[in-house]
This record gives sequence, C-alpha cells and structure tokens, in this order.
Amino acid sequence: MIVAGLGGGEGIRIVLETEEAMLLSELADQVDSVLLLGEADDPALGRLLPNAYPEDLEASEEFTRYTRDSLVDGKRQAAQSVRDATAVDHVDAGVVQIELDQAQAWGWLTFLTDLRLILAERVGVDDDEGDADVETRDDYLRAAYEWAGFVQGSMLEVLDPIKP
Amino acid sequence: MTPSTLEQHDTELRERVAADVPWQTIVWDDPVNLMTYVTYVFRSYFGFPRKKAERLMMQVHTEGRAIVASGNREQMEHHVQAMHGYGLQATVARAET
Repeated sequence: MIVAGLGGGEGIRIVLETEEAMLLSELADQVDSVLLLGEADDPALGRLLPNAYPEDLEASEEFTRYTRDSLVDGKRQAAQSVRDATAVDHVDAGVVQIELDQAQAWGWLTFLTDLRLILAERVGVDDDEGDADVETRDDYLRAAYEWAGFVQGSMLEVLDPIKP
Repeated sequence: MTPSTLEQHDTELRERVAADVPWQTIVWDDPVNLMTYVTYVFRSYFGFPRKKAERLMMQVHTEGRAIVASGNREQMEHHVQAMHGYGLQATVARAET
C-alpha cells in the first residue's frame, strides 16, 4: 500500500495490491451492512452513532430522531464509494491505483474511522494498553484494525503533512 | 411593587439568563482514533490553526475530553452531528456556570 500526493497538491493517489483492494472492498461492504442491518443494540453502531446527550434521555432521543438518517446515509455513502473504488474484477489485475480529490479522501478517512470503530468493538479495544487475552481473541480482525489505521495514517501524512 | 409583580419579574430574569447560558460541544477520548486524524478534523471542520487543533487534541487525549466549541444549542448540535459524521465521540452540554 502506497499513498502519494497528486501533482498540483489537491488530492492523493493510493496504490493497493490486488489482495489489499479485495480486503478493503470486502470490509467496506461489511461496514455498509452493519449500518444498513445493524440491530439497535449493536454496540458497534453505538460507536458510529454516539449518544449526544448521555444525561438527558429526551434530548438524546430527539437528537437521534433528527440526525440519525443523515449520519447513516453519509457513512453508507462513504463505505460504498470505497467498496466500489476497490472492487477488483479479476484476481490477477496486479495493483489497483485510485486517485482521490480532497472530498473523496475525506470519504475514505471517515470510512476507515468507522471501520476501525466497528473492528475495535468486535475485538474489544477499549483502552490504550494491550490486553493479552484480547490480542489473541481474533487475530484477523485485529490485523485488519491495525492495517486500516496504517492506511489512514499514511493518507494523513500526505493530506496534512507536519511541517518541521 | 406588589409581591406578585416582583415574582413575575424574577421569573423573566431567570428565563433570560437561562437562554443566555451557552452550550458546549465536548469531544471525548477514545482509544481508536489516530491523533493525527483528530487534529486534521479539528483543523478542517472548525478551521482552527494547527497549534490550537493540536492543543485540543492533546487535551482530549490526556484529560479525556475537551470543549471544542461554545454557543447556542442549535449550533452545538450541528457541530456534534458533524463530529459523529467524522467518527468522533462528541456530546452537547450546557456550560457550567
């Protein structure tokens, strides 16, 4: 996985191995499914759609009523755009190159965040310290979590370079 | 002035004060989001200079939460909705007086 700036500054290019693109496409499809089909009491959905008023049930329900559909739509669109951009028709396509403008890059950043929030919930990342039991619970999900963070971090290094 | 007018007056004053109390957008720490991402969200969405965005991000990280905006309730709900869109844990709260 390589992230590079586009000439002209406004945008980035992401180069993925075919396997990475397939993995990302599959994960994006799963995020879309969680948003579409997730049960109301799914804690992962609670991470994606937090309670805006933890101490005021009435205000909390009203906030949810007015914001939920639009938040879910935005998150689903981001997931679908990543899924579609990374869809690989045949396995031996080599590398997949994706060019994103600033707005599309934001879609990827927010999707990667939502993906990591869901994976963190599934594998139980709930503090900064590693827990040996948790780390062995599901290596695949944890690897995907770390990798999604690596992709996002690499994108941010190009989108928002820290000047010395 | 009769006691009833005085009482009336008092209520109006209280209501006016309550309406003026600003609300806040609070962003909470979570172990998932990258520090660079949180900073970038603060810079891009609120238009904060890098130093301010980084200071608030560090405050979230070390103190567990930071007030990132104050104002009327409608504006704060708008900000919190945006933060949720970015995947940040944010709440609306009445400013402590």
